[in-house]
Amino acid sequence: MSEFVRVAAADAIADPGKQVFEVEDQIVVVFHVDGQYSCLDDVCTHDDGPLGDGRLEGCTIACPRHGAKFDIRTGAALSMPATRPTVCHEVKVEDDAVWVRLRS
Amino acid sequence: MGVTAVTDSAKFSAAALDELIAARQEPEWLVDLRRAAFETFCEKALPSRKEEEWMRTDIRTFHLDNFEPPAELSEIPADLPEGLLTAGVDLGGRVVSYNSRTISSELSDELKQQGVVFGSFAEVLESHGEVIREHLCHAVDPHFDKFSALHAAFFTTGQVLYVPRGVVVKKPLHALSLMGAGGVDLGHTLVILEEGAEATMLNETASVDETSPGMHCGAIELFVHPRARLRYVNLQNWGRGVWHFAHQKGVVDRDAHIQWTIGALGSKLSKVNQHVGLVGEGAECEVNGVMFTEGRQHLSYHTLQHHQAPHCHSNFLYKAALQDRSRTVWRGMIKVDEGAQRTDGYQRNDNLLLTKHCRADSIPGLEIEADDVRCTHGATTGQVDEEQIFYAQCRGFTRNEAIRAIVIGFFQQVFDRIPVESVREALGKSIAVRVREYE
Repeated sequence: MSEFVRVAAADAIADPGKQVFEVEDQIVVVFHVDGQYSCLDDVCTHDDGPLGDGRLEGCTIACPRHGAKFDIRTGAALSMPATRPTVCHEVKVEDDAVWVRLRS
Repeated sequence: MGVTAVTDSAKFSAAALDELIAARQEPEWLVDLRRAAFETFCEKALPSRKEEEWMRTDIRTFHLDNFEPPAELSEIPADLPEGLLTAGVDLGGRVVSYNSRTISSELSDELKQQGVVFGSFAEVLESHGEVIREHLCHAVDPHFDKFSALHAAFFTTGQVLYVPRGVVVKKPLHALSLMGAGGVDLGHTLVILEEGAEATMLNETASVDETSPGMHCGAIELFVHPRARLRYVNLQNWGRGVWHFAHQKGVVDRDAHIQWTIGALGSKLSKVNQHVGLVGEGAECEVNGVMFTEGRQHLSYHTLQHHQAPHCHSNFLYKAALQDRSRTVWRGMIKVDEGAQRTDGYQRNDNLLLTKHCRADSIPGLEIEADDVRCTHGATTGQVDEEQIFYAQCRGFTRNEAIRAIVIGFFQQVFDRIPVESVREALGKSIAVRVREYE
């Protein structure tokens, strides 16, 4: 089981906003929307597109390659061409910082 | 004269290259080759996912400066792996390297008397410099990308096999490249078979430590001159912390034949460009690929069958089995030049998905400029059939035994094409022990 890793100060990610981080040899994207933080693999399950470069609308992120949409809170695929969820990692805010724990 | 280009790497720097050149008494042409490659290394950025070739291979967590140019060996560990390919094989010669430095080199007297040359890059450069000059970096382009340039600038070791005209080498030759924790391997393999020669070479890699980080940035160049026949086996079995970047190319001339077998079992991430150029009329190549991935491994193979002359035959068969969250990318291209009439090209990639979250991407392609050809390509991807497992369990197999038998059966088509028994055995056993039980 991975440990929580500090990725940024809590005020370093705008609301609404997103930022890409490297955590334990993986690239993840942390979202900050309506005061809530969430974290997904920076990978679209359709064609490996970088979600961190996509357009954030509410709680939805659109892959810049083909427009597949994902729920930033769960990783669920919301629209074609993606049909499978991307991995959603654990996030907590502690000591004014954002912490991420990877799910395998 | 020192290097003036500026690199974004603190470790693979101009000073490091000057130091490497100063420590080796290499001919001017090779020094020039290194310096030109270094210029390219400085000019080019690491590949990004905006490039078609790297769209599905993410190397953002690869940091070149976690590694450094190979240093002289202060000591060699006592318990080095022996490799997997040579059990029960009577070898004609053997070259072993550790962290990019050759630690042993042997060739039988019988082969020496026949004029066969097999040894480390440095020793063959000294004895047959002109042969190396005529072939080194003539198949693989050092200026292709940042990795090929890095390799050409900084490579320190490798194996060279040279078989003179008409000589048939019956005993296989073995090259073993080993890597220690945090090690770097920049090996360059050069095989040259003169007209009518025949040889078999077994080339494999292994890590001393299964999980430690490492980097291989290498090249393989195989020159099969007219009517020569080469059997070449390459088993990539690095530990799971190793980044593996490689450019490999075979050049097959008139009526020559190459059989190239690839086993890809190891590494954390592999990005391999494997090309075969059929440059003389009647040239033939058969490539067999066996891949097995697990954990979060990512293996990306880009193959090219380039028909540059008429009446050539190429046949690529790649099979991959994947488990856990591992990933393979296979992108194959058959390219037929305008004058390459009566081409017969075949490529196929089969993938067996053993778990829910693994993924295999297959992108076969054709680029044909001739109008009298037969080119066939295809790819299949599927899961283990539950009915087959049930059938086997009804006859006393455990679920794990059943899956293992199905996986080995899946690879059998490729194993049947491998003439060297020890290679078939090694690949079969290595895969069988990795297969786990799934629900």
